[in-house]
Amino acid sequence: MKTSLVALAGAAALLAVGSAHAADTVTLQLKWPGGPDIAPEQVLVGGGADVVVDWMPAALAAREKGAEMVNIAQPFKRSGLELTCRADTGIRTPQDLKGRTLGVWFAGNEYPFLNWMAKLGFKTDGSPGGVKVIKQNFNVDPLIQKQADCISTMTYNEYWQVIDAGYKPDQLVVFNYTDQGVSTLEDGLYAMEDKLKDPAFVDKMARFVKASMKGWDYARAHPDEAVKIVLDNDSTGAQTEHHQTQMMAEINKLTEGSDGRLDPASYQQTVKALLSSGGADPVISKEPTGAFTTAVTDKALAK
Amino acid sequence: MTRSGRLGEFLPPLAFGLAVLAIWEAGVRLLHVPAIILPPPSAIATRFATSMPTLAADFRQTIQGVLAGYVMGSLAGFMAAILVDRSQFLQRGLLPIGNLVSALPIVGIAPIMVMWFGFDWPSKAAVVVVMTFFPMLVNTVAGLSVAGAMERDLMKTYGASDWQTLLALRLPVAMPFVFNALKINTTLAMIGAIVAEFFGTPIVGMGFRISTEVGRLQIDMVWATIVVAALTGSLFYALVAGVERRVTFWHASYRAKEA
Repeated sequence: MKTSLVALAGAAALLAVGSAHAADTVTLQLKWPGGPDIAPEQVLVGGGADVVVDWMPAALAAREKGAEMVNIAQPFKRSGLELTCRADTGIRTPQDLKGRTLGVWFAGNEYPFLNWMAKLGFKTDGSPGGVKVIKQNFNVDPLIQKQADCISTMTYNEYWQVIDAGYKPDQLVVFNYTDQGVSTLEDGLYAMEDKLKDPAFVDKMARFVKASMKGWDYARAHPDEAVKIVLDNDSTGAQTEHHQTQMMAEINKLTEGSDGRLDPASYQQTVKALLSSGGADPVISKEPTGAFTTAVTDKALAK
Repeated sequence: MTRSGRLGEFLPPLAFGLAVLAIWEAGVRLLHVPAIILPPPSAIATRFATSMPTLAADFRQTIQGVLAGYVMGSLAGFMAAILVDRSQFLQRGLLPIGNLVSALPIVGIAPIMVMWFGFDWPSKAAVVVVMTFFPMLVNTVAGLSVAGAMERDLMKTYGASDWQTLLALRLPVAMPFVFNALKINTTLAMIGAIVAEFFGTPIVGMGFRISTEVGRLQIDMVWATIVVAALTGSLFYALVAGVERRVTFWHASYRAKEA
């Protein structure tokens, strides 16, 4: 998944830092979504996890379908989603995307893209005057193999994979969703509504959120140490220090200024963006109710 | 077979199927099973009816990979079997390799094929070729060995060449085996094309639909696509079985039914 190990750097850092604070001990069992394209909502609704990391558009869409998931914390204050194009395609502005082949992630990550295309007035079903979309896996091969003109990248992960593959920044044209005004809230923590009725569960989540945010603060203050902790805890041995250091630096930019609380203004901005995504199939069709709770963050910050 | 006899054949499976659907519908409603875990058949039928254009487009996309791969894979397997039959050396060398190729997991081959052949249906056809090659090879080789000694001697007394013996005796006798493989390959082709679409596809196709609608928790659409896949697979199999009946009409298994 795009967030890979560094996104859990907060949790990993707390494993080291938090152990010194016995009062805040929390036992974590980290599960990776198994298989290609398992959306976090599926895991949460299916009972495979108590809390998941998910993007807000996907969570709100799932909530409208009947999955009663609730945002309990928002560690990522800023969005890191971007569309990276090869400069040799001649694309310079979003309007140049017309008729191009674009790689898009699915499993919940397609909503900001659909939102943006609706705003630009481009149909995504392949009809003339729109854009051609291919379902991109969580890698950058379509761009490198020239099967797509542009691909979805995160500022902290896939963009650097493209650079590591040999492209220079001046050979790429990057459209950052925040700069385009179509960004939505990304990594937040979500739990099921019925579980949150149990005060013991809320307390458990509060301790987890508090420890997590401590971990993120630590990662921002000591990025190199955080990278080392992540690598030490990487059981696959697949991650490199070089890649994780780049990711750490970029992710720190996204968590900067967040104490875990969901900012109501940012929430409203995301909701408004999704409601106005227009077309026959908007991401959400009505204002969500009860989609987030401050109970957990209130408790976490009060401790 | 009499009219009522044929109808009598359809009635039990039809009744059984309807009973299963009824239990499903009642069970889901009575037990308040959330739709994102298991939707009732009525919801699936509604979604099926309202999504015909999407399902039709998905079908058109996937079937290209299915049919192209099926034809190419089966033909390749068949021709390899003829070659293997001609040469002992090839038999010892090609069969184990065919075995290896068939054991390659689709989830491993599919992304590689997408990289080689692009995101569209050719890469799906390539996956299907890999999956259907070996069953056809093995079955045809087995079929070619089945011609009886007496019949082969008869061909020798006619002064028939190897090729004439092959075309007039050994291939027709091998047909039940060949059709066995063709029937197996219909299923493998469907599975191969749909699963390969999980790994890179333009945004249309049955595999794409299943994987993305599951991510969007629209499970009724997943089931609607499953219905299309099941119907397609059954029709495909029935077609091949129909052709088999024509070609191997002489086989003992058909005699028993007529009595």
